[in-house]
Amino acid sequence: MNSIDMPTGWGDRIFTALMRSLVYVLYAFLLAPLICVVIVSFNAEAVQTFPPQHWSFHWYAVAMETHSFTHGLLVSAVLALVATLIAAPAGVAAALALNRSNWKGKAWVEAIFLAPLVVPGLVAGIAILVATAALNVRDAPVRLLIGHIVIVLPYVIRTTLASLARLDPQIAEAALTLGAGRFTAFRLITLPLIKQGLTAGMLFGFILSFDDVSVSLFLSDARTVTLPLAIMSYLQYSFDPSVAAISSLLIGVTLIFIIVLERRMGVKKLFTG
Amino acid sequence: MLLFPAAALVFLCLLVPLFYVLVLSLNHAVTGDVALHAALTPENYVRLFSRWFYSRILVRTVWLSVLTTVLCAVFGTVLSLSLWRTAGRKRAYLILIVASPLLVSIVTRTYGWMVVLGDTGLVNAVLMHLHVISSPLHMMYTQGAVVVGLVHVFLPMMVLSVLAALDKIDPAIPEAAMSLGAGRFATFWKVIFPLAIPGLSAGITIVFSLSMSSYVTPALMGGSNAGMLTTLIYQQFVVTYNWHFGSALVMVLLATSLLVLVLLLAESSRRTRAWLTRK
Repeated sequence: MNSIDMPTGWGDRIFTALMRSLVYVLYAFLLAPLICVVIVSFNAEAVQTFPPQHWSFHWYAVAMETHSFTHGLLVSAVLALVATLIAAPAGVAAALALNRSNWKGKAWVEAIFLAPLVVPGLVAGIAILVATAALNVRDAPVRLLIGHIVIVLPYVIRTTLASLARLDPQIAEAALTLGAGRFTAFRLITLPLIKQGLTAGMLFGFILSFDDVSVSLFLSDARTVTLPLAIMSYLQYSFDPSVAAISSLLIGVTLIFIIVLERRMGVKKLFTG
Repeated sequence: MLLFPAAALVFLCLLVPLFYVLVLSLNHAVTGDVALHAALTPENYVRLFSRWFYSRILVRTVWLSVLTTVLCAVFGTVLSLSLWRTAGRKRAYLILIVASPLLVSIVTRTYGWMVVLGDTGLVNAVLMHLHVISSPLHMMYTQGAVVVGLVHVFLPMMVLSVLAALDKIDPAIPEAAMSLGAGRFATFWKVIFPLAIPGLSAGITIVFSLSMSSYVTPALMGGSNAGMLTTLIYQQFVVTYNWHFGSALVMVLLATSLLVLVLLLAESSRRTRAWLTRK
Protein backbone atom coordinates (compact mmCIF):
# COMPACT_ATOMS: atom_id res chain seq x y z
CA MET A 1 0.00 0.00 0.00
CA ASN A 2 3.05 2.26 0.02
CA SER A 3 4.10 2.51 -3.56
CA ILE A 4 0.82 3.34 -5.23
CA ASP A 5 0.52 6.43 -7.33
CA MET A 6 -2.24 8.38 -5.69
CA PRO A 7 -4.52 10.48 -7.83
CA THR A 8 -4.08 14.10 -6.72
CA GLY A 9 -7.12 16.16 -7.44
CA TRP A 10 -7.88 19.15 -5.18
CA GLY A 11 -10.27 17.20 -3.03
CA ASP A 12 -7.65 14.57 -2.50
CA ARG A 13 -4.99 17.09 -1.51
CA ILE A 14 -7.17 18.78 1.08
CA PHE A 15 -8.28 15.42 2.42
CA THR A 16 -4.68 14.24 2.71
CA ALA A 17 -3.51 17.43 4.43
CA LEU A 18 -6.37 17.32 6.92
CA MET A 19 -5.78 13.71 7.72
CA ARG A 20 -2.06 14.21 8.17
CA SER A 21 -2.51 17.08 10.63
CA LEU A 22 -5.12 15.10 12.49
CA VAL A 23 -2.67 12.23 12.84
CA TYR A 24 -0.02 14.54 14.31
CA VAL A 25 -2.55 15.98 16.75
CA LEU A 26 -3.52 12.45 17.79
CA TYR A 27 0.08 11.41 18.45
CA ALA A 28 0.54 14.55 20.54
CA PHE A 29 -2.71 13.72 22.35
CA LEU A 30 -1.44 10.23 23.14
CA LEU A 31 1.91 11.37 24.47
CA ALA A 32 1.01 14.66 26.17
CA PRO A 33 -0.02 13.35 29.61
CA LEU A 34 2.99 11.06 29.91
CA ILE A 35 5.44 13.77 28.88
CA CYS A 36 3.79 16.22 31.28
CA VAL A 37 4.14 13.78 34.15
CA VAL A 38 7.85 13.48 33.50
CA ILE A 39 8.27 17.26 33.22
CA VAL A 40 6.33 17.92 36.41
CA SER A 41 8.43 15.39 38.31
CA PHE A 42 11.39 17.73 37.98
CA ASN A 43 9.47 20.66 39.41
CA ALA A 44 11.34 22.09 42.39
CA GLU A 45 8.29 23.61 44.07
CA ALA A 46 5.48 21.65 45.65
CA VAL A 47 2.79 23.42 43.68
CA GLN A 48 2.41 22.09 40.21
CA THR A 49 2.85 25.03 37.94
CA PHE A 50 3.41 24.56 34.28
CA PRO A 51 6.09 24.97 33.08
CA PRO A 52 8.25 24.41 36.16
CA GLN A 53 10.10 27.50 37.35
CA HIS A 54 12.96 25.61 38.91
CA TRP A 55 14.20 22.10 38.22
CA SER A 56 15.27 19.55 40.81
CA PHE A 57 15.57 15.85 41.56
CA HIS A 58 14.17 16.50 45.01
CA TRP A 59 10.84 14.78 44.52
CA TYR A 60 12.46 11.57 43.33
CA ALA A 61 14.23 11.37 46.68
CA VAL A 62 10.97 12.09 48.48
CA ALA A 63 9.17 9.44 46.47
CA MET A 64 11.79 6.80 47.25
CA GLU A 65 11.39 7.53 50.95
CA THR A 66 7.62 7.55 51.02
CA HIS A 67 6.75 4.38 52.83
CA SER A 68 3.49 3.75 51.03
CA PHE A 69 5.29 3.87 47.68
CA THR A 70 8.16 1.57 48.59
CA HIS A 71 5.84 -0.87 50.35
CA GLY A 72 3.46 -0.73 47.40
CA LEU A 73 6.31 -1.39 44.98
CA LEU A 74 7.28 -4.50 46.92
CA VAL A 75 3.70 -5.76 47.12
CA SER A 76 3.06 -5.17 43.42
CA ALA A 77 6.30 -6.78 42.30
CA VAL A 78 5.95 -9.89 44.47
CA LEU A 79 2.28 -10.26 43.60
CA ALA A 80 2.90 -9.97 39.86
CA LEU A 81 5.79 -12.42 40.06
CA VAL A 82 3.95 -15.08 42.04
CA ALA A 83 0.79 -14.74 39.98
CA THR A 84 2.76 -15.10 36.76
CA LEU A 85 4.71 -18.10 38.06
CA ILE A 86 1.48 -19.86 39.01
CA ALA A 87 -0.46 -18.90 35.90
CA ALA A 88 2.33 -19.84 33.49
CA PRO A 89 2.44 -23.65 33.95
CA ALA A 90 -1.34 -23.87 34.16
CA GLY A 91 -1.64 -21.72 31.06
CA VAL A 92 0.92 -23.69 29.06
CA ALA A 93 -0.79 -26.95 29.98
CA ALA A 94 -4.14 -25.57 28.93
CA ALA A 95 -2.72 -24.20 25.66
CA LEU A 96 -1.17 -27.59 24.89
CA ALA A 97 -4.45 -29.36 25.50
CA LEU A 98 -6.43 -26.85 23.45
CA ASN A 99 -3.97 -26.99 20.57
CA ARG A 100 -3.83 -30.74 20.43
CA SER A 101 -7.50 -31.54 20.56
CA ASN A 102 -10.48 -31.11 18.37
CA TRP A 103 -13.55 -32.02 20.33
CA LYS A 104 -17.01 -30.72 19.60
CA GLY A 105 -17.21 -28.15 22.34
CA LYS A 106 -13.71 -26.84 21.79
CA ALA A 107 -14.77 -23.29 20.93
CA TRP A 108 -16.78 -23.10 24.13
CA VAL A 109 -13.86 -24.32 26.24
CA GLU A 110 -11.60 -21.76 24.63
CA ALA A 111 -14.19 -19.11 25.36
CA ILE A 112 -14.27 -20.08 29.04
CA PHE A 113 -10.53 -19.70 29.30
CA LEU A 114 -10.69 -16.29 27.71
CA ALA A 115 -13.63 -15.33 29.94
CA PRO A 116 -11.42 -13.29 32.26
CA LEU A 117 -10.82 -10.99 29.32
CA VAL A 118 -14.54 -10.47 28.81
CA VAL A 119 -15.41 -9.94 32.43
CA PRO A 120 -14.47 -6.43 33.48
CA GLY A 121 -11.67 -6.28 36.06
CA LEU A 122 -13.87 -4.46 38.52
CA VAL A 123 -16.51 -7.19 38.32
CA ALA A 124 -13.93 -9.93 38.79
CA GLY A 125 -12.43 -8.15 41.80
CA ILE A 126 -15.79 -7.67 43.48
CA ALA A 127 -16.76 -11.27 42.73
CA ILE A 128 -13.64 -12.55 44.43
CA LEU A 129 -14.23 -10.20 47.37
CA VAL A 130 -17.80 -11.42 47.83
CA ALA A 131 -16.88 -15.08 47.51
CA THR A 132 -13.93 -14.92 49.90
CA ALA A 133 -15.94 -12.89 52.40
CA ALA A 134 -18.75 -15.43 52.30
CA LEU A 135 -16.21 -18.20 52.88
CA ASN A 136 -14.66 -16.18 55.71
CA VAL A 137 -11.32 -15.74 54.01
CA ARG A 138 -10.16 -12.29 55.13
CA ASP A 139 -6.53 -12.50 54.08
CA ALA A 140 -5.80 -9.68 51.62
CA PRO A 141 -2.67 -11.25 50.04
CA VAL A 142 -4.64 -14.41 49.25
CA ARG A 143 -7.49 -12.47 47.69
CA LEU A 144 -5.08 -10.35 45.68
CA LEU A 145 -3.20 -13.40 44.47
CA ILE A 146 -6.39 -15.05 43.28
CA GLY A 147 -7.37 -11.89 41.44
CA HIS A 148 -4.01 -11.44 39.80
CA ILE A 149 -3.80 -15.06 38.65
CA VAL A 150 -7.10 -14.46 36.90
CA ILE A 151 -5.55 -11.41 35.23
CA VAL A 152 -2.41 -13.16 33.98
CA LEU A 153 -3.81 -16.55 32.94
CA PRO A 154 -5.71 -15.64 29.76
CA TYR A 155 -2.75 -13.75 28.29
CA VAL A 156 -0.39 -16.64 28.85
CA ILE A 157 -2.89 -19.02 27.25
CA ARG A 158 -3.48 -16.74 24.30
CA THR A 159 0.15 -16.11 23.38
CA THR A 160 1.21 -19.71 23.99
CA LEU A 161 -1.69 -20.94 21.87
CA ALA A 162 -0.65 -18.57 19.09
CA SER A 163 2.92 -19.90 19.27
CA LEU A 164 1.73 -23.49 19.26
CA ALA A 165 -0.49 -22.87 16.28
CA ARG A 166 2.55 -21.90 14.25
CA LEU A 167 4.42 -24.99 15.32
CA ASP A 168 4.59 -28.06 13.10
CA PRO A 169 3.13 -30.92 15.19
CA GLN A 170 5.24 -33.44 13.34
CA ILE A 171 8.37 -32.29 15.12
CA ALA A 172 7.12 -33.35 18.55
CA GLU A 173 5.58 -36.46 17.02
CA ALA A 174 8.96 -37.42 15.61
CA ALA A 175 10.47 -37.20 19.08
CA LEU A 176 7.74 -39.48 20.42
CA THR A 177 8.26 -42.09 17.72
CA LEU A 178 11.97 -42.04 18.50
CA GLY A 179 11.19 -43.12 22.05
CA ALA A 180 10.98 -39.93 24.07
CA GLY A 181 8.37 -39.78 26.82
CA ARG A 182 5.60 -37.17 26.54
CA PHE A 183 7.13 -34.85 29.08
CA THR A 184 10.65 -35.20 27.66
CA ALA A 185 9.33 -34.42 24.21
CA PHE A 186 7.61 -31.36 25.61
CA ARG A 187 10.61 -30.22 27.64
CA LEU A 188 13.26 -30.68 24.95
CA ILE A 189 11.31 -29.97 21.77
CA THR A 190 8.07 -28.05 22.23
CA LEU A 191 9.06 -25.79 25.08
CA PRO A 192 12.13 -24.22 23.43
CA LEU A 193 10.07 -23.61 20.30
CA ILE A 194 7.24 -21.82 22.10
CA LYS A 195 9.56 -20.04 24.52
CA GLN A 196 9.22 -16.74 22.67
CA GLY A 197 5.43 -16.66 22.80
CA LEU A 198 5.36 -17.94 26.35
CA THR A 199 7.78 -15.37 27.74
CA ALA A 200 5.97 -12.62 25.87
CA GLY A 201 2.71 -13.70 27.47
CA MET A 202 4.33 -13.90 30.88
CA LEU A 203 5.96 -10.49 30.55
CA PHE A 204 2.73 -8.98 29.37
CA GLY A 205 0.77 -10.61 32.16
CA PHE A 206 3.34 -9.38 34.65
CA ILE A 207 3.01 -5.79 33.46
CA LEU A 208 -0.78 -5.91 33.51
CA SER A 209 -0.77 -7.40 36.98
CA PHE A 210 1.71 -4.78 38.19
CA ASP A 211 -0.31 -1.89 36.77
CA ASP A 212 -3.69 -3.26 37.73
CA VAL A 213 -6.14 -1.15 39.63
CA SER A 214 -9.66 -2.41 38.93
CA VAL A 215 -9.18 -5.93 40.29
CA SER A 216 -6.96 -4.89 43.19
CA LEU A 217 -9.22 -2.02 44.22
CA PHE A 218 -11.59 -4.21 46.19
CA LEU A 219 -9.15 -6.88 47.23
CA SER A 220 -6.51 -4.97 49.15
CA ASP A 221 -6.74 -3.82 52.74
CA ALA A 222 -4.93 -1.24 54.84
CA ARG A 223 -1.82 -3.36 55.23
CA THR A 224 -1.47 -4.77 51.74
CA VAL A 225 -1.65 -2.09 49.09
CA THR A 226 -0.35 -2.33 45.55
CA LEU A 227 1.68 0.51 44.06
CA PRO A 228 -1.01 1.91 41.70
CA LEU A 229 -3.48 1.93 44.58
CA ALA A 230 -0.93 3.63 46.84
CA ILE A 231 -0.41 6.32 44.20
CA MET A 232 -4.15 6.76 43.79
CA SER A 233 -4.83 7.22 47.49
CA TYR A 234 -1.87 9.58 47.77
CA LEU A 235 -3.45 11.63 44.98
CA GLN A 236 -6.66 11.98 46.89
CA TYR A 237 -5.18 14.12 49.62
CA SER A 238 -1.89 15.44 48.30
CA PHE A 239 -0.94 16.74 44.90
CA ASP A 240 2.79 17.22 45.17
CA PRO A 241 5.25 16.15 42.46
CA SER A 242 6.40 13.03 44.31
CA VAL A 243 3.49 11.34 42.54
CA ALA A 244 4.95 12.55 39.27
CA ALA A 245 8.36 11.23 40.31
CA ILE A 246 7.17 7.72 41.11
CA SER A 247 5.00 7.73 38.00
CA SER A 248 7.96 8.74 35.84
CA LEU A 249 9.98 5.91 37.31
CA LEU A 250 7.16 3.54 36.41
CA ILE A 251 6.98 4.94 32.89
CA GLY A 252 10.73 4.41 32.54
CA VAL A 253 10.57 0.81 33.71
CA THR A 254 7.58 0.12 31.47
CA LEU A 255 9.47 1.54 28.51
CA ILE A 256 12.28 -0.93 29.11
CA PHE A 257 9.78 -3.78 29.33
CA ILE A 258 8.15 -2.68 26.09
CA ILE A 259 11.44 -2.56 24.22
CA VAL A 260 12.23 -6.06 25.44
CA LEU A 261 8.75 -7.23 24.45
CA GLU A 262 8.98 -5.66 21.01
CA ARG A 263 12.28 -7.36 20.33
CA ARG A 264 10.83 -10.71 21.37
CA MET A 265 7.43 -10.76 19.85
CA GLY A 266 6.07 -7.49 18.64
CA VAL A 267 3.58 -5.63 20.80
CA LYS A 268 0.77 -5.62 18.23
CA LYS A 269 0.48 -9.39 18.23
CA LEU A 270 -0.04 -9.49 21.98
CA PHE A 271 -3.13 -7.36 21.86
CA THR A 272 -4.75 -8.88 18.84
CA GLY A 273 -3.84 -12.56 19.21
CA MET B 1 -5.76 -33.94 32.02
CA LEU B 2 -3.64 -31.00 31.04
CA LEU B 3 -6.59 -28.66 31.06
CA PHE B 4 -7.37 -29.30 34.65
CA PRO B 5 -5.23 -26.75 36.53
CA ALA B 6 -6.20 -23.82 34.33
CA ALA B 7 -9.82 -24.89 34.22
CA ALA B 8 -9.91 -25.22 38.00
CA LEU B 9 -8.35 -21.78 38.38
CA VAL B 10 -10.87 -20.09 36.09
CA PHE B 11 -13.78 -21.97 37.57
CA LEU B 12 -12.90 -21.44 41.21
CA CYS B 13 -11.41 -17.98 40.97
CA LEU B 14 -13.83 -16.37 38.58
CA LEU B 15 -16.96 -18.29 37.69
CA VAL B 16 -17.91 -19.43 41.17
CA PRO B 17 -17.32 -15.97 42.66
CA LEU B 18 -19.50 -14.48 39.95
CA PHE B 19 -22.23 -16.86 40.95
CA TYR B 20 -21.85 -15.68 44.55
CA VAL B 21 -22.36 -12.11 43.40
CA LEU B 22 -25.48 -13.10 41.51
CA VAL B 23 -26.97 -14.76 44.58
CA LEU B 24 -26.01 -11.85 46.81
CA SER B 25 -27.70 -9.43 44.44
CA LEU B 26 -30.91 -11.40 44.82
CA ASN B 27 -30.80 -11.42 48.61
CA HIS B 28 -32.58 -9.02 50.90
CA ALA B 29 -30.41 -5.98 51.54
CA VAL B 30 -29.06 -5.77 55.07
CA THR B 31 -26.19 -3.42 55.77
CA GLY B 32 -23.01 -5.28 56.65
CA ASP B 33 -24.39 -8.73 55.99
CA VAL B 34 -22.20 -10.65 53.58
CA ALA B 35 -23.46 -14.21 53.94
CA LEU B 36 -25.50 -15.76 51.16
CA HIS B 37 -29.12 -16.67 51.81
CA ALA B 38 -31.45 -18.96 49.97
CA ALA B 39 -34.34 -16.52 50.04
CA LEU B 40 -34.31 -14.64 46.75
CA THR B 41 -35.85 -11.26 46.04
CA PRO B 42 -35.55 -8.84 43.15
CA GLU B 43 -35.73 -5.79 45.43
CA ASN B 44 -32.23 -4.55 44.64
CA TYR B 45 -32.89 -4.49 40.92
CA VAL B 46 -36.25 -2.84 41.47
CA ARG B 47 -34.52 -0.16 43.51
CA LEU B 48 -31.98 0.48 40.77
CA PHE B 49 -34.47 0.81 37.94
CA SER B 50 -37.29 2.56 39.78
CA ARG B 51 -35.36 5.40 41.36
CA TRP B 52 -34.22 8.04 38.94
CA PHE B 53 -31.23 8.90 41.13
CA TYR B 54 -29.69 5.53 40.34
CA SER B 55 -31.07 5.12 36.83
CA ARG B 56 -29.65 8.50 35.89
CA ILE B 57 -26.19 7.26 36.77
CA LEU B 58 -26.68 4.19 34.60
CA VAL B 59 -27.87 6.32 31.70
CA ARG B 60 -24.95 8.70 32.13
CA THR B 61 -22.50 5.79 32.21
CA VAL B 62 -23.89 4.35 29.00
CA TRP B 63 -23.93 7.78 27.33
CA LEU B 64 -20.32 8.62 28.25
CA SER B 65 -19.19 5.15 27.19
CA VAL B 66 -20.95 5.50 23.84
CA LEU B 67 -19.36 8.92 23.34
CA THR B 68 -15.93 7.56 24.22
CA THR B 69 -16.39 4.60 21.90
CA VAL B 70 -17.50 6.75 18.96
CA LEU B 71 -14.57 9.14 19.40
CA CYS B 72 -12.15 6.24 19.72
CA ALA B 73 -13.62 4.61 16.61
CA VAL B 74 -13.25 7.74 14.49
CA PHE B 75 -9.80 8.77 15.67
CA GLY B 76 -8.61 5.20 15.98
CA THR B 77 -9.48 4.48 12.36
CA VAL B 78 -7.62 7.59 11.22
CA LEU B 79 -4.51 6.59 13.17
CA SER B 80 -4.68 2.98 12.01
CA LEU B 81 -4.92 3.97 8.39
CA SER B 82 -1.92 6.22 8.78
CA LEU B 83 0.02 3.44 10.50
CA TRP B 84 -1.05 0.93 7.87
CA ARG B 85 0.49 3.04 5.15
CA THR B 86 3.81 3.46 7.00
CA ALA B 87 6.48 0.87 6.49
CA GLY B 88 9.51 -0.63 8.19
CA ARG B 89 11.29 0.72 11.24
CA LYS B 90 9.28 3.90 11.37
CA ARG B 91 6.12 1.84 11.62
CA ALA B 92 7.53 -0.28 14.44
CA TYR B 93 8.43 2.84 16.42
CA LEU B 94 5.06 4.44 15.80
CA ILE B 95 3.24 1.32 16.92
CA LEU B 96 5.39 1.40 20.05
CA ILE B 97 4.34 5.01 20.67
CA VAL B 98 0.70 4.10 20.23
CA ALA B 99 0.86 0.99 22.39
CA SER B 100 3.04 2.26 25.21
CA PRO B 101 0.27 4.11 27.10
CA LEU B 102 -1.44 0.75 27.46
CA LEU B 103 1.38 -0.64 29.53
CA VAL B 104 1.62 2.36 31.80
CA SER B 105 -0.70 2.18 34.78
CA ILE B 106 -4.05 3.85 34.37
CA VAL B 107 -3.39 5.84 37.52
CA THR B 108 -0.32 7.40 35.90
CA ARG B 109 -2.20 8.21 32.73
CA THR B 110 -5.11 9.75 34.59
CA TYR B 111 -2.72 11.74 36.75
CA GLY B 112 -1.09 12.98 33.56
CA TRP B 113 -4.44 14.32 32.41
CA MET B 114 -4.96 16.00 35.74
CA VAL B 115 -1.69 17.81 35.09
CA VAL B 116 -2.65 18.73 31.52
CA LEU B 117 -6.21 19.88 32.23
CA GLY B 118 -5.78 21.26 35.74
CA ASP B 119 -6.20 24.93 36.59
CA THR B 120 -2.41 25.37 36.62
CA GLY B 121 -1.82 22.73 34.00
CA LEU B 122 -0.46 22.63 30.48
CA VAL B 123 -3.53 23.76 28.54
CA ASN B 124 -4.34 26.65 30.84
CA ALA B 125 -0.69 27.72 31.02
CA VAL B 126 -0.41 27.82 27.23
CA LEU B 127 -3.71 29.63 26.74
CA MET B 128 -2.94 32.20 29.45
CA HIS B 129 0.56 32.74 28.08
CA LEU B 130 -0.88 33.43 24.65
CA HIS B 131 -3.43 35.74 26.32
CA VAL B 132 -6.34 33.86 24.84
CA ILE B 133 -7.92 33.70 28.28
CA SER B 134 -7.34 35.74 31.41
CA SER B 135 -8.36 33.26 34.07
CA PRO B 136 -8.01 29.49 33.99
CA LEU B 137 -10.66 27.35 32.35
CA HIS B 138 -12.07 24.85 34.81
CA MET B 139 -11.84 21.68 32.80
CA MET B 140 -11.31 19.13 35.53
CA TYR B 141 -14.14 17.45 37.40
CA THR B 142 -16.52 17.56 34.46
CA GLN B 143 -18.03 14.90 32.25
CA GLY B 144 -15.91 16.24 29.40
CA ALA B 145 -12.72 15.59 31.37
CA VAL B 146 -13.83 12.02 31.96
CA VAL B 147 -14.44 11.49 28.24
CA VAL B 148 -11.03 12.96 27.36
CA GLY B 149 -9.37 10.68 29.90
CA LEU B 150 -11.26 7.62 28.71
CA VAL B 151 -10.57 8.30 25.03
CA HIS B 152 -6.87 8.64 25.81
CA VAL B 153 -6.83 5.39 27.71
CA PHE B 154 -8.68 3.34 25.11
CA LEU B 155 -7.58 4.86 21.81
CA PRO B 156 -4.52 2.57 21.54
CA MET B 157 -6.74 -0.49 21.92
CA MET B 158 -8.90 0.66 19.04
CA VAL B 159 -5.90 1.46 16.88
CA LEU B 160 -4.31 -1.93 17.41
CA SER B 161 -7.57 -3.70 16.77
CA VAL B 162 -8.30 -1.92 13.49
CA LEU B 163 -4.69 -2.19 12.39
CA ALA B 164 -4.83 -5.96 12.79
CA ALA B 165 -7.81 -6.06 10.42
CA LEU B 166 -6.21 -3.65 7.94
CA ASP B 167 -3.08 -5.75 7.80
CA LYS B 168 -5.12 -8.65 6.53
CA ILE B 169 -6.28 -6.71 3.48
CA ASP B 170 -4.59 -7.67 0.26
CA PRO B 171 -2.95 -4.42 -0.95
CA ALA B 172 -3.87 -5.29 -4.51
CA ILE B 173 -7.52 -4.58 -3.79
CA PRO B 174 -7.32 -0.85 -3.05
CA GLU B 175 -4.74 -0.58 -5.83
CA ALA B 176 -7.25 -2.05 -8.22
CA ALA B 177 -9.90 0.37 -7.04
CA MET B 178 -7.65 3.35 -7.64
CA SER B 179 -6.44 2.16 -10.98
CA LEU B 180 -10.11 2.03 -11.95
CA GLY B 181 -10.39 5.72 -11.12
CA ALA B 182 -11.68 5.91 -7.55
CA GLY B 183 -10.41 8.91 -5.59
CA ARG B 184 -8.78 8.52 -2.20
CA PHE B 185 -11.87 9.04 -0.16
CA ALA B 186 -14.01 6.80 -2.39
CA THR B 187 -11.45 4.03 -2.13
CA PHE B 188 -11.42 4.36 1.61
CA TRP B 189 -15.16 4.46 2.06
CA LYS B 190 -16.18 1.77 -0.42
CA VAL B 191 -13.25 -0.63 -0.33
CA ILE B 192 -10.98 -0.30 2.68
CA PHE B 193 -13.51 0.58 5.35
CA PRO B 194 -15.85 -2.41 4.77
CA LEU B 195 -12.86 -4.74 4.90
CA ALA B 196 -11.72 -3.21 8.19
CA ILE B 197 -15.08 -3.62 9.89
CA PRO B 198 -14.22 -6.86 11.76
CA GLY B 199 -11.34 -5.07 13.48
CA LEU B 200 -13.49 -2.04 14.10
CA SER B 201 -16.27 -4.03 15.73
CA ALA B 202 -13.82 -5.93 17.91
CA GLY B 203 -12.34 -2.61 18.97
CA ILE B 204 -15.77 -1.09 19.63
CA THR B 205 -16.75 -4.02 21.83
CA ILE B 206 -13.56 -3.83 23.84
CA VAL B 207 -13.64 -0.05 24.25
CA PHE B 208 -17.31 0.11 25.22
CA SER B 209 -16.98 -2.67 27.77
CA LEU B 210 -13.85 -1.15 29.26
CA SER B 211 -15.37 2.34 29.38
CA MET B 212 -18.42 1.09 31.21
CA SER B 213 -16.28 -0.66 33.81
CA SER B 214 -13.60 2.00 34.20
CA TYR B 215 -13.21 3.27 37.75
CA VAL B 216 -10.01 5.27 38.07
CA THR B 217 -10.62 7.86 35.37
CA PRO B 218 -14.18 8.82 36.37
CA ALA B 219 -13.24 8.77 40.07
CA LEU B 220 -10.19 11.01 39.72
CA MET B 221 -11.33 13.27 36.91
CA GLY B 222 -15.08 13.31 37.28
CA GLY B 223 -15.75 14.65 40.73
CA SER B 224 -19.34 14.60 41.93
CA ASN B 225 -20.82 15.83 38.66
CA ALA B 226 -19.78 12.84 36.67
CA GLY B 227 -20.55 9.89 38.90
CA MET B 228 -20.60 6.71 36.90
CA LEU B 229 -21.84 3.24 37.64
CA THR B 230 -18.40 2.18 38.84
CA THR B 231 -18.06 4.98 41.38
CA LEU B 232 -21.55 4.14 42.64
CA ILE B 233 -20.52 0.50 42.98
CA TYR B 234 -17.44 1.56 44.92
CA GLN B 235 -19.58 3.59 47.30
CA GLN B 236 -21.91 0.66 47.92
CA PHE B 237 -19.09 -1.71 48.75
CA VAL B 238 -16.78 0.58 50.66
CA VAL B 239 -18.88 3.39 52.11
CA THR B 240 -22.51 2.45 52.64
CA TYR B 241 -21.66 -1.25 52.96
CA ASN B 242 -24.76 -2.32 51.09
CA TRP B 243 -23.14 -5.23 49.31
CA HIS B 244 -26.47 -6.53 48.06
CA PHE B 245 -27.37 -3.43 46.13
CA GLY B 246 -23.76 -3.17 45.00
CA SER B 247 -23.92 -6.74 43.68
CA ALA B 248 -27.03 -5.91 41.71
CA LEU B 249 -25.18 -2.96 40.17
CA VAL B 250 -22.25 -5.24 39.34
CA MET B 251 -24.57 -7.72 37.64
CA VAL B 252 -26.12 -4.94 35.58
CA LEU B 253 -22.63 -3.81 34.57
CA LEU B 254 -21.62 -7.32 33.55
CA ALA B 255 -24.89 -7.86 31.70
CA THR B 256 -24.48 -4.64 29.73
CA SER B 257 -20.93 -5.55 28.66
CA LEU B 258 -21.96 -9.05 27.64
CA LEU B 259 -25.02 -7.75 25.85
CA VAL B 260 -22.95 -5.42 23.69
CA LEU B 261 -20.51 -8.23 22.97
CA VAL B 262 -23.27 -10.63 21.94
CA LEU B 263 -25.05 -8.00 19.83
CA LEU B 264 -21.90 -7.10 17.97
CA LEU B 265 -20.93 -10.71 17.38
CA ALA B 266 -24.40 -11.51 16.11
CA GLU B 267 -24.47 -8.47 13.84
CA SER B 268 -21.04 -9.10 12.40
CA SER B 269 -21.71 -12.77 11.74
CA ARG B 270 -24.98 -11.81 10.11
CA ARG B 271 -23.19 -9.37 7.83
CA THR B 272 -20.49 -11.89 6.99
CA ARG B 273 -23.10 -14.49 6.12
CA ALA B 274 -25.01 -12.00 4.01
CA TRP B 275 -21.87 -10.97 2.18
CA LEU B 276 -20.76 -14.54 1.57
CA THR B 277 -24.11 -15.58 0.18
CA ARG B 278 -24.84 -12.48 -1.87
CA LYS B 279 -25.97 -12.92 -5.43
